[in-house]
Amino acid sequence: MKLKTRELTVNILIFALTLLMAVLFFFPIFFNIMSAFKSNAEIMRDALSFPTTFYLESFKYLLTETNFPKAIQNSLILTLVSIVFQVLLIPMAGYAIQRKNARWTRFIFLYFLAGMMIPFQAYMIPLFKELKMLGLYGSLAGPIMIYVAGSVGFGSLLYSSFVKGIPMEIEEAAEIDGCSRVRIFWNIVFPLLGPVTASMVVLNGLGIWNDFLMPMLVLPSGEPKTMVVEIYRYIGEFSSRWDMIFAGTTMSVVPILIVFVFLQKYFVKGIATGATKG
Amino acid sequence: MTTSASVINNPQASTKKRRKWKSFALYFILPSFILYTLFVIVPTVGSIYYSFTSWDGISPDVRFIGFANFVEIWNSPRVHNALKNTMIMTISLVLLENVVAILLALLVDKVRWLSKLFRSIFYFPTLLSGIVMGFVWAMLLNYNFGVINQMLNKIGLGALAVDWLGDPRYAMLAIVLSTVWKGAGYYMIIYLAGLQGIPQELNEAASIDGANGWQQFRHITFPLLAGSVTVCMVLAMIGALKIFDQIAVMTDGGPGFETETLTYLIYKVGFGELRQGFGTALAIVLFLIIMIITVIQVKFLQKREVEL
Repeated sequence: MKLKTRELTVNILIFALTLLMAVLFFFPIFFNIMSAFKSNAEIMRDALSFPTTFYLESFKYLLTETNFPKAIQNSLILTLVSIVFQVLLIPMAGYAIQRKNARWTRFIFLYFLAGMMIPFQAYMIPLFKELKMLGLYGSLAGPIMIYVAGSVGFGSLLYSSFVKGIPMEIEEAAEIDGCSRVRIFWNIVFPLLGPVTASMVVLNGLGIWNDFLMPMLVLPSGEPKTMVVEIYRYIGEFSSRWDMIFAGTTMSVVPILIVFVFLQKYFVKGIATGATKG
Repeated sequence: MTTSASVINNPQASTKKRRKWKSFALYFILPSFILYTLFVIVPTVGSIYYSFTSWDGISPDVRFIGFANFVEIWNSPRVHNALKNTMIMTISLVLLENVVAILLALLVDKVRWLSKLFRSIFYFPTLLSGIVMGFVWAMLLNYNFGVINQMLNKIGLGALAVDWLGDPRYAMLAIVLSTVWKGAGYYMIIYLAGLQGIPQELNEAASIDGANGWQQFRHITFPLLAGSVTVCMVLAMIGALKIFDQIAVMTDGGPGFETETLTYLIYKVGFGELRQGFGTALAIVLFLIIMIITVIQVKFLQKREVEL
């Protein structure tokens, strides 16, 4: 009996400590969303207080009086189109590298993996010049290609290691039945890679949605870029309109929160694989 | 009757298959190869080339100046300052992120109620943009109306309310703490996977032998987490070297040059001061640092695998 109460006390203590940490970790997000529904005066007066009215003026202003809608559109296009191309191209490369397993594919594999070591800052300056030379500066096509190119290293590692776990017999049988390689891949192998693809889509999609430095550098100045870049610009320009900036950050955070709630397991799975395989 | 086995055993069919395979593999790999070469490798090689020039980024005149940029890096007090800041930031982040992550993982692993919800709450900040959360933290830390100073005033500790981002003594600390908040959840997931791989019997046996909680952690849990620790340390180190967003939005490298790190200096020099030749030389230094860490990691991990 005594042991039981002691165990319960320990459990309650652990729970209290975890709850305290959870409050600390969630507070900045809560603070962000709460502040978006307060007027500027309210934020300045008492940052901790709850909004007194359901204040939507900052959202209205941001969506009607600024270029923010265009920035939202750019963020969506960049994220979705880059992800589509990543899913179209990278699984095929990882698959071919693993199944072919010849000297030249092993070499290409190493060549791709080397890219995982190169930080973006190491090549951003010449990249900027290269985009101008290719005539891609100023269009969304440039950043999309850069995102696809940047995901080749980790993506081919992830896919080739998963393809290894798929038995070859099914593919061989399909080949005898006269299936082409393209069809074998898309109809048989690709569906088996579903969980890897889901992890890649959520993690890379998030990385693109949140990316700052690259879109800021390669999208033309004077025009709205992406949500994150516009928020950064507003912080400098409208340095006293906190309400408006909070509305912007909230619009950037809430979609992530929604995606996370529904696709949580793919986020976690992606990290676990990345950590052990990377 | 043809079975898959007979295709493999039949050398003729096999070579024919291989030939067919070769063209398909090429066709499958080519798009990724072209994009990767064009947008990662070519500009990286470009960086090496420009690092030996005094290019300003605009004029077509690219003058070759040999190792002058690297000599300047060696002698420049500003670069030394940036390297010092990078080291302080990297070491404190690697230690703090991992300590906090292990603590969170232990809590989530041990807590009896709502553990999935807690895991999600600790992990969620890692999914947000550094710009967005850097701004929110800058607001929390604001000298005049930030929540942190307001709370300190309310509980009578007004003396502790300082200008977190404007005072050279605290700006680095503010960036480190907000980055720990944002990053720890990622490593927590890796540690949780490690914790779940430790057989329950070990701790039970130790507990029967009279080991207390700390002794169990020190002699059983922590040694068995060693693999996760290595992975997390290296990931945290590379992550810390690349930090950019938080600095851009919270301090812009300041006050003075107090929070200007190598990554931030590359950006400032290359795009703010239009010294892109010098900027690429710094970028090569950053690349070499990351490459050395990665090579050590691979060697270290391989050695550990042999020992296991």
